[in-house]
Amino acid sequence: MKVRALAVFLAGFSPALPLLAGADNQWILEQSTLTWHASHPLHQSEGVSHAARGKGVCHAGQCEFLIAVPVKSFDSGDTNRDLHMIQAARGAEFPMAVVRTRLPEDALSSTSIHADLEIQFAGQTVQYKQVPLHLSMQGKEVRLSGSIPATLSDFKIEPPTLLMIPVKNEIPIHVEMTWQENSGTGASTSK
Amino acid sequence: MISKLVKLILWMIMCALPLAFADTLRAQVAGSTISGTITDASGTVVQLATIKVKNTVTGQTIQAQSDSKGNYGVQNLVPGDYEVSVSAAGFTPKTAKITLSQGVGQILNMSLSKLGVNPNEPSLSDLGFPPSETKGSVQEQARLDKRSHMLKIHQRLGLITTAPLVATVITGTFAGGRSTSSTDRNVHMALGSVTAGLYFTSATYAIFAPKIPGIQARGPIRLHKTLAWIHGAGMILSPALGAMAYEQRSRGERIHGIAGAHSAVGIVTAAAYGAAILSVSVKF
Repeated sequence: MKVRALAVFLAGFSPALPLLAGADNQWILEQSTLTWHASHPLHQSEGVSHAARGKGVCHAGQCEFLIAVPVKSFDSGDTNRDLHMIQAARGAEFPMAVVRTRLPEDALSSTSIHADLEIQFAGQTVQYKQVPLHLSMQGKEVRLSGSIPATLSDFKIEPPTLLMIPVKNEIPIHVEMTWQENSGTGASTSK
Repeated sequence: MISKLVKLILWMIMCALPLAFADTLRAQVAGSTISGTITDASGTVVQLATIKVKNTVTGQTIQAQSDSKGNYGVQNLVPGDYEVSVSAAGFTPKTAKITLSQGVGQILNMSLSKLGVNPNEPSLSDLGFPPSETKGSVQEQARLDKRSHMLKIHQRLGLITTAPLVATVITGTFAGGRSTSSTDRNVHMALGSVTAGLYFTSATYAIFAPKIPGIQARGPIRLHKTLAWIHGAGMILSPALGAMAYEQRSRGERIHGIAGAHSAVGIVTAAAYGAAILSVSVKF
């Protein structure tokens, strides 16, 4: 009788067990579109990458997110411009742009958050505080979008020139991502 | 007496020699070095990290700092066991033990972890990128730098070339008419020569800029390169036809034969050249 009561108690309590044990939830970046925008008096240009990979690990109510994208994966539709951007951003020497952020786990169910982002790019590490991001949750998927107010000078990048006129210092990076929740440990870590 | 004096001087020199070379001898004994690069977990260099190299026997500590490339170096160390500790703002300090042999340079690269992070924080290696994508190459960067530098010169010279090119086309209308003077022809020829000189110098920088393997030209740059075949051929053909036309006019003859195509070739060349500049300047 006592054994049955214990079994019933444990069965009722089991959904909370992972939390009590401090088990991690993981988030895997399923899809992404990152776009840089550059302005020049003669025209605007933008480079798009879908090659980002990311992972989030939640532990004790805090989630650590890491997103990385190869610098050379951005495509502006002009190979010469892309090579010039890679050169200016020292993309051969520092081939990955890496973004780290820490969020409270319950923030992921909000519709908008302000995240502190740490970005490693072009051999520099720059913090962007309180970057507004929009979220929408659909089942176990979270769609996230926002714009990072990056500038060339933040990363000590000499502005590329066209007809001897430099592009503007501001290169906002628009971000659209779809994250998939992967509850429990032992989740897949690569795409 | 003299031989005793010579012996005394020689003896003094022999005694003084070890003193004179004492520093050198000490340096030879204490000539070991430790050097390396300080990076973070992602491989990005950490500059201004403090490196303390402590001799575990004597307790003597030498301090160094990583430079803008994350490199550090400590020289003239006595062989023995050392404790190397590295600290930097925002990172967890790290210590490593190393044994130095006499006169040997040891390389000790150290990777620091960020302070106060979740021990479960994902790392770059979790994301499954192939090493070829995450590993940087200084040589490849140098090649890109050289390419950009040469193309920048190409672009500047190309723009400068526009001025004498336009002037050549304009003066061509006076040089080729019925009532032309030798001055008109000479001015046109001189401007054409300047244009050709600048043009081929600019072209040389584009042709010999390092090529990046595996990259096929795509987008406006492809049109720019295609147009180069037109104005490049025109820049060779036009002066040759111009020289023939110049000779004919100087003999008082009307321009005839293939020399008559000089004007048309020149205009097509100038138009292709202008279009080439516009192709990479203006978004269509």
